[in-house]
Amino acid sequence: MKKFSYLLSLITCLAFGQNKQILYGFSEIPQSLMQNPGGEVTNDWYLGIPLLSHIHTNAGSSGISVYDLFAADGLDFNSKLENAIYRLKDNDFFAVNQQIEILSGGFAFGSGFEKNEYLSFGVYQEFDFISYFPKDYAILAYEGNQNNINRLFDASDVNISGELLSVWHVGYNKKVNDNFTFGIRGKVYSSIINANSTKNEGSFITRTGQNNFYNHIFNLDLELRTSGLSSLIEDENSDPKNDVKELKKRFLLGGNLGLGFDIGFTKKITDQWTFDASLLDVGFIRHSKDVENYKVEGVYEFEGVDPIFYESDQGQTADDYWSDIEEDFEELFKVDSTQSKYTTWRPAKLNASLNYAFGKKIDKACNCIQEESDYLNAVGMQLYAISRPKQPQLALTAYYYRRLFNGLSAKATYTIDSYSFKNVGLGVSANIGGMNFYIMADNFLEYQNIYNAQSVSLQLGFNYIFNKNED
Amino acid sequence: MIKQIFKPTLLLFVLHVICVSCTKEVDFNQINDLEINPVIESSIFYFDAAAGDFIIGSSDEFSTPPEFIIIDIFNNQFVKDNLIKAELLFETVNSINRAYQVQVDFFDNANQLRHTFTFSTEASTTNDDLTNQYLEVFEGDALINLKQTTKLAFTLTMLPGAPINTSTQGRIHLESKGTFYLKIER
Repeated sequence: MKKFSYLLSLITCLAFGQNKQILYGFSEIPQSLMQNPGGEVTNDWYLGIPLLSHIHTNAGSSGISVYDLFAADGLDFNSKLENAIYRLKDNDFFAVNQQIEILSGGFAFGSGFEKNEYLSFGVYQEFDFISYFPKDYAILAYEGNQNNINRLFDASDVNISGELLSVWHVGYNKKVNDNFTFGIRGKVYSSIINANSTKNEGSFITRTGQNNFYNHIFNLDLELRTSGLSSLIEDENSDPKNDVKELKKRFLLGGNLGLGFDIGFTKKITDQWTFDASLLDVGFIRHSKDVENYKVEGVYEFEGVDPIFYESDQGQTADDYWSDIEEDFEELFKVDSTQSKYTTWRPAKLNASLNYAFGKKIDKACNCIQEESDYLNAVGMQLYAISRPKQPQLALTAYYYRRLFNGLSAKATYTIDSYSFKNVGLGVSANIGGMNFYIMADNFLEYQNIYNAQSVSLQLGFNYIFNKNED
Repeated sequence: MIKQIFKPTLLLFVLHVICVSCTKEVDFNQINDLEINPVIESSIFYFDAAAGDFIIGSSDEFSTPPEFIIIDIFNNQFVKDNLIKAELLFETVNSINRAYQVQVDFFDNANQLRHTFTFSTEASTTNDDLTNQYLEVFEGDALINLKQTTKLAFTLTMLPGAPINTSTQGRIHLESKGTFYLKIER
């Protein structure tokens, strides 16, 4: 039980990242089709065990680990915090991605003897969050402006986006011939909650003034857009049952809807060399229901107050004059709320890999290679990219795949990404009877101290598989 | 046989690594030690006036009537909780052959005078720029009084001296800024 709760806390607390480098191309696992709809299919049909067929969590922080800040090392917390603030860049980010497959399944069909087409379908829940480090805001809050005269504080440093959604999908895969397979998957997104603030502009600067010591220049254009949030926060009946009912409704395609697709292919170049690629989550969500946007916009310069020679031509008193200035400030920071509809793009992902398969099974009876059998090993390189609000994130993975026995295969990966230059991952897939179980995790080198890992990723699941080539 | 043992063993091993991966000691309560000390500077008062601006009617006994500015910055809760020291720095440049005095009064909600200070500038007999600085520091009781302030009065008074008329040379230039030391704790 303790282990289970630990596992659960690992899933919920430490899940980061969207790169599923271990799952990609792992064709024994039906969920690999979610990483490439044009991947190779090795089963006749499968059914994911509901709620357990794919549990994925990934969490990461590109510039700092939990341990850097919270190690019980006797060092002063504030100096650790100071180090973090100065070390982190405005491109550093914290990201969390979590998915649970509710239902999934697939089956082969086709007119020929060998069914060469495959239909897969399912629904999963996803949570995705990314926040960049708001460096300039942090410096301003930490130091104040005294040490930063003439420094421009960039208002766009606040860049944050989060979404909870359900995804309903159907995919089609066709093995055209022995050398080429392609696939496409259509997706309907139902956004449950969305919040994003990714297009902020403007700045704040304190400059040496003309008439006074300083001229403070505010130029702000900030916006937070939300959908699905205000009704949950503002509803007067605070009965959580109603909220749960509402969330269920949104999950079942009653949220803000969107459309998207995945495409991919696998091309055998020679008997041993294979190239495959996929493009995932090319899609958008239109937010029109329960929208509440908050905007702060304005330009204002402040040099101080002239208490004597203010323009009193309209019979203003000093207090009227000051009140006007106060109103200008209030106007500058006033939060306007609107209900304007908006569209968000899903974070699109690109995968591509080049594989080399080798080493066939040796038949003990004749001590010769079984020419008809499949290769037992594969090595390859995989490139992953994901579109993110500021810039795409890339990862490069080298991997080794090995079929250990019939029904048991493993894959080891070495990944270079925004989080780490030495991310070692391991995954296994085991078939016991018709039951398939897989588990994969990365950043094994940091498992001596998980808090020191800048990212952690875990996927596991159970499926019932009927294999066409079962020995 | 080997196969049967190996499968569960490997799975157990993987599960083991994931479930009981080690952690070194971390202490999230350190967040309670959080303390930041930003220093904020802001322009406050300024004016720039030629000698002639000080003639009101036929009198050169110039004194601005103390007009009140209602100000709610100092008694706002954030400032009350976190402001640990404040400084007001005034810089005057005088090239008029006349001395003058500036007085700043701080009143609370009940119109009680909580704090006051004055500073003066000498006459510039040669009409050259005479630069003076004056620093008022708010700590201890003065800081408490500042946090009670809701009204400010700024008064400029010409001190007795050479009469001013339309042909009097020179200007008075005043700049000021506040430096606010904050200590923000969790």
